[in-house]
Formats: sequence, C-alpha cells, structure tokens
Amino acid sequence: MTEQKSLLAVFHDLEPAADAVEQLRRLGIHDDHMSVISGVPVTEPMLGRPHQWTNVPRIAMGGAAIGMAVGIALSFWAPNMYAIRVGGQPFAPVPPAIIVIFEMTMLGMLLSTFLGVFLDSFFPNYRPLHYVPEISDGKFAILVECSSMDETKITDMMKKMGAESVQDAEAQHL
Amino acid sequence: MSEKQQHDHEKHLREEHLMLDPLPRGQMNDMVMESMHTTSWKFWAVFFILSAFVAWGLFYSWGKMILEGLGIAGVNRPSYWGIFLVNTVFWIGISHAGTFISAILRVFKAEFRRPFTRAAELMTTFGLVQAGFSIFMHMGRVWLSYWLFPYPNQRELWPNFHSPLTWDLLAITTYLLSSTMYLFLPLIPDLAMARDKSTGWRKNFYKVLALGFRGTEGEWTHLRHAMNIFAWAIIPVMFSVHTIVSWDFAMATRPGWSSSIFGPYFVIGALHSGMGAVVLVLGVVRGTMKNMKYFIRPEHFDGIGKLMLMISMGWGYFFFNDYLVQWYGGDKWTKQLLHWHEAGPMGWMWFAMLIFNVVIPWAVLWNRKWRSTPWLVGTVGLLINFGMWFERYIIIPISLTINRAPFTWRLYKPGIEIPLSLGTLAFFILLYMAASRLIPLIPVWEVQEGQMAHEFKKFGRETVVTVSELE
Repeated sequence: MTEQKSLLAVFHDLEPAADAVEQLRRLGIHDDHMSVISGVPVTEPMLGRPHQWTNVPRIAMGGAAIGMAVGIALSFWAPNMYAIRVGGQPFAPVPPAIIVIFEMTMLGMLLSTFLGVFLDSFFPNYRPLHYVPEISDGKFAILVECSSMDETKITDMMKKMGAESVQDAEAQHL
Repeated sequence: MSEKQQHDHEKHLREEHLMLDPLPRGQMNDMVMESMHTTSWKFWAVFFILSAFVAWGLFYSWGKMILEGLGIAGVNRPSYWGIFLVNTVFWIGISHAGTFISAILRVFKAEFRRPFTRAAELMTTFGLVQAGFSIFMHMGRVWLSYWLFPYPNQRELWPNFHSPLTWDLLAITTYLLSSTMYLFLPLIPDLAMARDKSTGWRKNFYKVLALGFRGTEGEWTHLRHAMNIFAWAIIPVMFSVHTIVSWDFAMATRPGWSSSIFGPYFVIGALHSGMGAVVLVLGVVRGTMKNMKYFIRPEHFDGIGKLMLMISMGWGYFFFNDYLVQWYGGDKWTKQLLHWHEAGPMGWMWFAMLIFNVVIPWAVLWNRKWRSTPWLVGTVGLLINFGMWFERYIIIPISLTINRAPFTWRLYKPGIEIPLSLGTLAFFILLYMAASRLIPLIPVWEVQEGQMAHEFKKFGRETVVTVSELE
C-alpha cells in the first residue's frame, strides 16, 4: 500500500499558483485533494477552482426566522404575562410590534451569520495545522495530498511552475 | 503628453493614492506591526492622565452618585433628562460613523475607505460602550437594571413593548452586538498576520483571537459571505437605532419634541458627529503613530471631507425643516420654546450649534486643498462634535425647561454629570489608545486587495486609473 503525503508549495504570485493548480489536475490530482491558502482573498474562478460551498447564508436565514419568532412572541404573547392596557392602545398593537420584530429579526440574522462563520470554518481551531507564516506576507500556498510515488513528479512540476519552495507539509501549532 | 509628462503624471497619482502605491505585503505587515509596537513616553503620559480621569470622573463619581443618590446630579423638575441622556445620544451618534464608513462605503464600493474602516469600526464599539454607561448612570439605581429584561417575576413587572424606551434597549443591544461582530470578522485575517509576526505573550494573545485562521479558500469564502450579509444588514439596523433614539423624544407630545421629522433628523445628526469624530481620530492616528502617513493620506481626508460637507448640508436641511414647521405652526408653547432657544440664557449655545454644524463646515470643506489638509479638516471635525453635542443639549435639558406649566420652568444646571461626562470621554480615548497597541488599526489584507484591483490604463495618450471588480 502506498503512503499518503502532504506537500506544501509556496508561490510568490497568483498566476503561477493558478497554473500549478491546473497542472496538478492534469497529473491526476483531484480538486478535493488540494487546497489553496492565501493571505488575501482570491475567488475560485481566479484560481480555476470549483465553487466553494458555504452554509453561512442559510444559517443566517435560519437565525432571522428564529429572531422573528422571538420578536412576534415578545410583541403578541408577552403582553399576556402582565395584562394591562397602555396609552389607550390596543392590547397587542401592530405598529410597535413591527419595531420589536424588526430588531429581533436582524439580531437573530446577524448573530447566526457570525456563528455560521465559526461553524463552517471550524473556528476556533487550535490543533496543529498545515501552514507556513509566509502566507500572511502575501504568498500563495498549495497544499496537495498525494501518494509518495507521485511526490517527486509533483515537486518537480511545482518548482517548474515557479514555486519558491515545496516541502513536506507538517502540521504544527500556529 | 510627452513620455516625461506621462511619467510625472503617474508618479503624482502614486503619491496621491494609496491604492496606486503598492508595497510588498510583508513590508506593509511589518509597518503595521511596528506602529503597534512603537510606544513613546508621550503615549504613556497621556495614557496615565486619562486613566486618572477615568478613575476620578467615571468610577469615583459614579460610585459617589450610587451611594448618595441621583440628588447630586442636576436633574430635577422640569428637566428630568439631563446630560446623561445628552451623552447617550451623542455617543450613539459617534457610533454611526463606523457602520457608515465600513458598511455603506463597502456596499457602494468606495475604494478610499479601505485603510480606515477599522479605525471607524472601533469608534462604533467604544462609542456604544460609553452610551451604555451613560444610560446606566441616568437609571440611578443601576443594581435594578435587570428589571428592564423580560422575565416572569413575582411582582409581575413586565417591560412595556409599546414604549420607545424598550425599543431603544432592543435596538442598542442589537447594534452593539452586531457592530462588535462586524468589527471582529474582518479583523480575523489581520490577527492571524499579527500571530505570525509576534512572539511571547502577544503571540499567545493573537493565537487565541485568530481562532486558527490560515486563509484557506473555505475560510475566505465563509468570511466574504458573512461580511456581505453584515454590510447590507447592519445599514437598516444603524438607521433604526438613531430613529428609535429620536422616538424617545418624538413620541412625547411636548413642544419641540413631537416632530415627525425627528427620525431622519437624528440619523443625519448622528452621521454628522460620527464623520467629524472619524476625521479627528484619523488625523491623530496619522500624526502620532509610526508609518501611518503611508496608509492614511490627504486623499482620505478629501474623501471624508466631501461626505462631511454633504452631511452638513443634509443636517442644515433637516434642521431648517424641523424649525420652520414648528415656527409656522404658531403654537403658544412652541413659540415660547423657540424664543427660549435663541434668546434665552443658553442662546449662545444655539448659535454656536449653527456655526459649528453649518457655517464652519461649509466655509472650509468646499475647498479641495483645505479639505485635504489633515489638521484643518480634523479641527472642523472637532468643532462639529461640539456643535452636535450642543444640539443634543438644546433638544434635551434646554427644551425640557419650557413646558405647558410655566410655574415649573427652571434652567437645568448640571452637577456630578460634568465629571461623569469627562470620565466617559476619557474612557473612550483610553480604550482607543489601548486598542491601537493591541489591534492592527489598518486592515492590511483589505488594502492589499484594493491595490491588486487598481492599475493604470492608457486611453489614447492619457493614463487613467482603472479598478477591477475582484469579488
């Protein structure tokens, strides 16, 4: 059985990194077995990478629905807890309820958006991870999982494409 | 245009615009880290003086008021609302700048916002902290503040959800939490950068806050989506907050307050003071922190100055609208009130408000050269803040003096409110100073992203600047 390896190639620019991604695919590396790490956001089309799935908008919508439910409850159910008419207004009037419902909906949506980033990105994550600090200096890194048989072939290709370094990726505490 | 002229033109544009003057990312990171680490004795001197102010003005004075009761404050019939609420409205107004700059300018893709979004967002969070303090001071018996929350209890106390004060609690809580989260999300990549560049206790500090961020495609995608949602959603929240603050007044059927235009009038006033505060803070940051002259340039003061001018005109419009409708209405008590504003013992404040909020901004900010001069536009920002504080003082304690029961008329004279106000101001500056040592004030990744998107392009013989849509 062949051993699995993780390689981390560091590129100075986006263009050679995107070319290397294409070449990796030609060498039979599936997109699921590589990832690009960068210090600046680059979109999937720039790298020629498949669309990244995110649950953040769905989680946000879920939070908004919960927030709205809380707002409705506070406006129409809560007055029953202490039944008293105020200012000659109906017991549970609609106009003030709109304000309470709006605020609670937005709070629910924004809290859950924040939570969504944590859930989708597995934050906080203090376990050892594959990383090199040069990334935050604007470099682009490609993390590739491959069999040890392909290691030399991939390393040579990456260097040919302009990688500054290609190394065995070792998970480390950041 | 000759080749030399062309070259000079490009050089001039580079000097002028940060987005056209890129440095290697590593160098920009080092500059930002150096600005955080370089602390002179002057910094510590100011820091300790402010700490003493906070200890005296905020904690000692507040403790004294809690022990002796609200009687040592100047609030009394008919001005039951005094400086505490003036400060509350003022600090909430300051907090609007962060959202305005960070969210609205992000949505409209105004590129000049990039280096100072965080400096403005910090103001939102720290301003809301002071607003919170001010509300609790006004409350008097702060230990009973949990009565504001809806929970079943033996005395059957239950918040009245028809009351603007309860809407206020909900809106300010929503805004404080949202703006803090909105500050934190784009900060994560910069905290990761600081983690990679630090050693010792700072490394551990940033390691915890960076949450293990590396910059994978997934992390950036989640962050980008979240920031887009925040940028769109926080704008109506921002508008709602100050509108609801205005309803605290406008829902009361009293002279000077019962106005249907109070909502937008308060929102534009909040933006006015907020932008003034941002430009002031940017002037101080640029003048006192190392390497900041590269990131914060006259072009930024020019951009903010234009916004300040527009907002000042908007404020003037809403003020006049509010004034005219009340004056034309001819109500006996309202006429008394308007006369009291202009010719009463605090008339100087009413005129100073107009001079600081309208006359000075219009006189200075129309000129591009003046608008691009950091100290000058910073001074205008400071004066606008005086003007806007005066406006809130006129709306609250001065307007409360005149009511429909003349035997109660009495001019409000603040007591312990003064040290408490100075305490909140000192605490705001202190928090900001501490943050400037701990948090990268410049969102370096956003600056680099912007610089990647800008380039020169030749149209015929002229070189122009183009911006690519990278998102």
